Formats: sequence, structure tokens, C-alpha cells
Amino acid sequence: MKVLEIKNVHKIYNSSEVKVHAVNDISLDFEKGEFAAIVGPSGSGKTTLLNMIGGLDTPTDGEILVDNTNLAELKSSKLIDFRMRNIGFVFQSYNLIPVLTAKENVEFIMSLQKWDKKERDQRTFELLKAVGLEDRVNSRPSKLSGGQQQRVAVARALASKPKFVLADEPTANLDSKSTETLLDIMEELNREEGITFIFSTHDARVVKKARRVITVEDGKVISDERKN
Amino acid sequence: MNNLIFAWRNLWRNRRRTMITSASIFFAVFFALVMRSFQLGSYDHMYKNVIESYSGYIQVQHKDFWDEKIVDNTFPYDSEREQQLLADENVVAAIPRFESFALASNGPQTKGVLVMGVDPEKEVHLSKVTDKMVKYRLTPESIEKINQDPNIPEKVKELAPLFENSAYTTVSRLQLDLGIKDKDASQFMPAVERYAKFENGSIHMGESGVWVGDKLSQYLQLGIGDTIVLISQGYHATTAAGKYEIKGIVKLPLPDLDNKIVYLPLDVCQGLYNAEGNLTSLALAVNNNHDRAIAETVQRISAVAGEDQKVMEWREMNEVMVSQMDADDKGGQIMLGILYLVIAFGIFGTVLMLTSERKREFGVLVAIGMQKRKLASIMTLEMLLIGLLGILAGATVATLVILYGVEHPLVFKGETAKMFEEYGMEPMMAFWTIDTYYIWQIVIVTLMVLLAISYPMRKIFGMKIVNALRA
Repeated sequence: MKVLEIKNVHKIYNSSEVKVHAVNDISLDFEKGEFAAIVGPSGSGKTTLLNMIGGLDTPTDGEILVDNTNLAELKSSKLIDFRMRNIGFVFQSYNLIPVLTAKENVEFIMSLQKWDKKERDQRTFELLKAVGLEDRVNSRPSKLSGGQQQRVAVARALASKPKFVLADEPTANLDSKSTETLLDIMEELNREEGITFIFSTHDARVVKKARRVITVEDGKVISDERKN
Repeated sequence: MNNLIFAWRNLWRNRRRTMITSASIFFAVFFALVMRSFQLGSYDHMYKNVIESYSGYIQVQHKDFWDEKIVDNTFPYDSEREQQLLADENVVAAIPRFESFALASNGPQTKGVLVMGVDPEKEVHLSKVTDKMVKYRLTPESIEKINQDPNIPEKVKELAPLFENSAYTTVSRLQLDLGIKDKDASQFMPAVERYAKFENGSIHMGESGVWVGDKLSQYLQLGIGDTIVLISQGYHATTAAGKYEIKGIVKLPLPDLDNKIVYLPLDVCQGLYNAEGNLTSLALAVNNNHDRAIAETVQRISAVAGEDQKVMEWREMNEVMVSQMDADDKGGQIMLGILYLVIAFGIFGTVLMLTSERKREFGVLVAIGMQKRKLASIMTLEMLLIGLLGILAGATVATLVILYGVEHPLVFKGETAKMFEEYGMEPMMAFWTIDTYYIWQIVIVTLMVLLAISYPMRKIFGMKIVNALRA
């Protein structure tokens, strides 16, 4: 089942002096439950592509369909709502809300979606347990290590059971042990919950774990390999 | 999560900044309220002094008297008309007066004075001159007695000569100048009062005798029982001259008036100016002295007054003072404006920093699903909470200060008091009670906070998430 379709997407930045073709005619499909990595050198267009997939940026041309909905057709507030219900985000710098505890960060999106408190508590506990932080539920981000914060961020991204999770260089700020732990957790959640994970990364360890590796260079897909 | 809890937690992310911003709002509200209360209280006190010592709230005069203050512009007292005036719902009493100028002399000293013919009994309704009689005076003799009394503290003995010849209408002011604390008053004040006691006599209709202002008496070197000579121009250019015994000394709160006033019984004054039965004015004591009530009363009284009469309210009769106060008021408002401006920049600086610091966070919140309007409402609540903290704290402290000040006006003594008197003002600063000005200051500061909020609002609603995430 396709959760995401990218059709002939272009992104052109027009600065006063030069025209930059950051994404050049990319077409990709993602099935439910994929664990995919988009790799490529710096400036190759992977973050731009990820931003457009997440509806954070708009393509200059082409279409991005999430669960058959064209993101470009959604108005600002509808798009925010759609994103909240269908797309999870994991950022390079964790980006947890500093005034909320680990538990509150995870249940934040569920609160926005007005989930029932009991369901919310249960889901939050399950996710924090899954990421190994059930004993840190009341800790604020400033009291957690980088690896722990990123695990909370993963739990937050999965909280509302999105169609897919976009993770932009999720391991870039982590040491190797934290990276290993995080990748294991994400892989397990991917298998257990069947949620699609799409990473942009430089990290060979992420590439090794990924079951599909898409290589981008100069805004174009130059290879798309699936591992068995 | 509830927006309010979110906003409240955000508030304490940078505790020091929140405290500094709230403190700046606190000081803005506090100073604005206290300064305004001081200003309005002082104006009110000065107006009351002038009105109650001299003009009254409303006067009925001969139509030409205000423009040309000569005794020819007087009108005959008419009891029927007085009754008509008294029939007005807001008029409590009609106080007849005969007012003119004269040269006053005692020995080699001469001075131009304001002669006021009054009915001492009726003045109780308006100027209450008897309350302003000098009751104590620190004469060299009384200071000597204080110095010789072994029970009086040395500090009082040191202070007393500094106030030599000062006159007092109340015991509390005497106590203040001598630096005697309330707790010691019962121990020392009875003796001080005895030594400084000043005996006045009274003036009565039909009896020759005058009361003079304290400053005037000092200038002319007059004491009780001395004689003052008055010379002026009387009705229809007759010569007005007479000599009168000083029966009492009054100390008026307005130094300028205190320096020139001579009170005579009304009929004696009319006799001096050869204008028996005539008045320069009927001053009206009123129940309700609010501006609107006064204006309405003037309107009603004008219909009753005779054709050759004119009804004037206190503002017209004290134009110079009113315009001085207005100018001072404008100056005060400019100062408040500057205070607001400084505080507004402070608040705006905080908002600017806060918005810039949280740009990335705003991007993340919207990226993961928070609607911009919810984010905006959290920011608004956050700024309102900062404002509210400062406003409530400022208003609370200011209220306490104002309420205390209303009951206990600041009374200056020593050199400061002299400085005030040199400028023709009573050495005292009063507070104005809580009134519309209070609400306005709070509204203005709240508007400043709301105006500052417009910046993050613009940033939030115009935010491009990708750019915000890169911040």
C-alpha cells in the first residue's frame, strides 16, 4: 500500500544572481512499513526533498501525494492539521519543547488531536517504554542526554500513529552508542507499528540498517536500492 | 495542554528576563500612578486653598467689577435676592463680601493690601477664617521658656530657634517642626503649647478691629493690640481712611494671600469705603463642588441674578492659577509620556529577543502540528501574564502608597518649607484619591503590552517553517 508518492518534483531557488535547481525531477513511491534512507553529499538536495515530503516546503513543480492527498492543494491551516495526523518528524537537533516533560512532549500531538486522556496516557507510556525511558517520564529535556532527547523525539513522532516518519539526520549529533540504541529502537518500532521511516543521512550506520537506500546527487536520484 | 499552563511555563524559561520585564512594567505603573496622584492631589489642594480662602466656588458680582475692581462697581445688598439664591438646591449659604485695595501702614512700613470686608459668622460656611487663626508662635520669649524647661529634650531646644517667629494654626505642625515624635507628644507638647500659646481676639459686625495675615503682620511689624492705618479711594472718589486695632493674626495656606490680607467686619469695611449697604460680591457656598454641578448651578443662578450682576465660577476668577496648573499638568503628562516611552522600548526589546530566540521553536511547533493561531494565543497569554504581573504588583503597591498618602499628606518643614513658600505654595504635597486617572494609567500600560505583542504575532503568522527551522 502506497503511503507516499512523489511525482516529477522540482525545487528551484531563484536568488538574485543564480538559479539553483535543488531538486530536479524526482519521482519516488514509498510503501507502508518501509525503512528507507536518502543519502547523498551535502547540498545534494536531500533535506529539501524531505522538507517538501513533510509539507514544510512547496515544490516548484510536480506533486507530492500523501495517502492520495496532494499536499499542494491544502491551505495553510489544513496542511498543518494534515501533517499532524499523517506525518511524524524527527529533527537533527531533537527540538523537544523545553518547558514540557518527556511525557508531555510525547503526548503533545495527541493533546492537539484531543485524544482521550486514558488513551493518551497509555500510548505515551507504551512509547516511552519502547524507547527505554519509562523511568524519565517527568524529566524535562534539559535533564536528558542528547541520545535520550532523540529517543523522546522518536516517541513523539510516532505518538499519533502517522503514515510515515521523516527523520532529518537523526543521528548527526549522537555518539556511536546512542546512535546504535536509537537505530535499534526505530527499527523495532518500524516492525512493530508498521510505520514507514524515511531518513536523510550521511551516517553509514543508518545506511547499513536501512532496507532501502536512495542516493541523491545534484537534486537527482541516481540510485534506489532495496535490500532483502 | 492548556494554553495558559503552556504560557505560564514559558514565562519562567528565562526567569531573570521575565522578572526584569515585569519589574519595568511595575515601575511604570507605580510611578505613573503615584506621580499622577501627587500631581492631581496637589492641584486639588491648591484649588481648594484658593477657593476656600478667597474666591469661593461661585460669586455673584457687579457686572463690571471683575474687569475693573473699584468700589464704584458694587451693588446694594438685597435680602430678597439673597433668598432667591439660597433657594437653589446646590447653594448652602450666600456670604456677603466687600473687597478692595488699600495702602496699609504701621510706622515707617507701608504696603499695598487686599481689604476684605466679611461677616465673620457667615464666613464659617466658606473660608472658615477662624480655623486659620494663629494659635501658637515661637516668639523669642517662648523659645527662652522652652530652653529653660529641663524636661524638654535638647533636640527640641536646638530646633526651636530655627523657627523663631514662626506661626502655627495647628499643634501638629508645631510638633512636626520641633521634631517631637507622636509617642513623645503627650510628654512634651503640653508644655511647648503653653509656652508658644498665641492669644487672638475676634472681630464682630459693628465693632472696629481687624485680622491681618501672618506674613503681612511680620512685614508691618504688627502685633495684637497694635494699630494699622488703611488709606484708599472710596465710593465715588471719596477718601477712604481709617485706623484699626489688630485683634487677631490669621495664617492662610497661600503665602501670597497671607502677605496681603486684611479682614474687617463687613459694615466697618463698607464704612471705610463710604459704600454703606453695598457689596462687591456674594460668594456662594455649595453642596456639590464637582465641575458639572458648579456649571449647572451657575446656569441656574444667572437666571436669578439681577441685570447689573454677573455670576462667575472659581475657574474664571482664578484664571492665572488654573492656566499655571494646566501648564504644569501638561508638563506632567509629557514626563509620563517619556516614562511610558522608555518602558515601551524595554518591553519591545524583550519581545524582540524572545521572538528571535524562539524562532526555531515556533517552526518546530507548527511543523509537528500546532496551529499558528494557537501558538499566537500562547504568546499573547505569555506577554499578558508578564504585563499582568507588573501591572498588578505596580497597582497594588501604588494603591497602598496613594491610600496612605491621601490620609497623610507630605508636609515639608524647615528649608524645604521655606522654598515652597517662596514660590507662593503651601509646603505640602497631597495625593489624589483613586479615580479615573488610575484606570487610564493601567489601560495605557496594558495597551503598550498589547502593542508589543503585535511583533511576535506578525512573525508567527508570516513565518515560513523551513526558514524558522534553519534559525
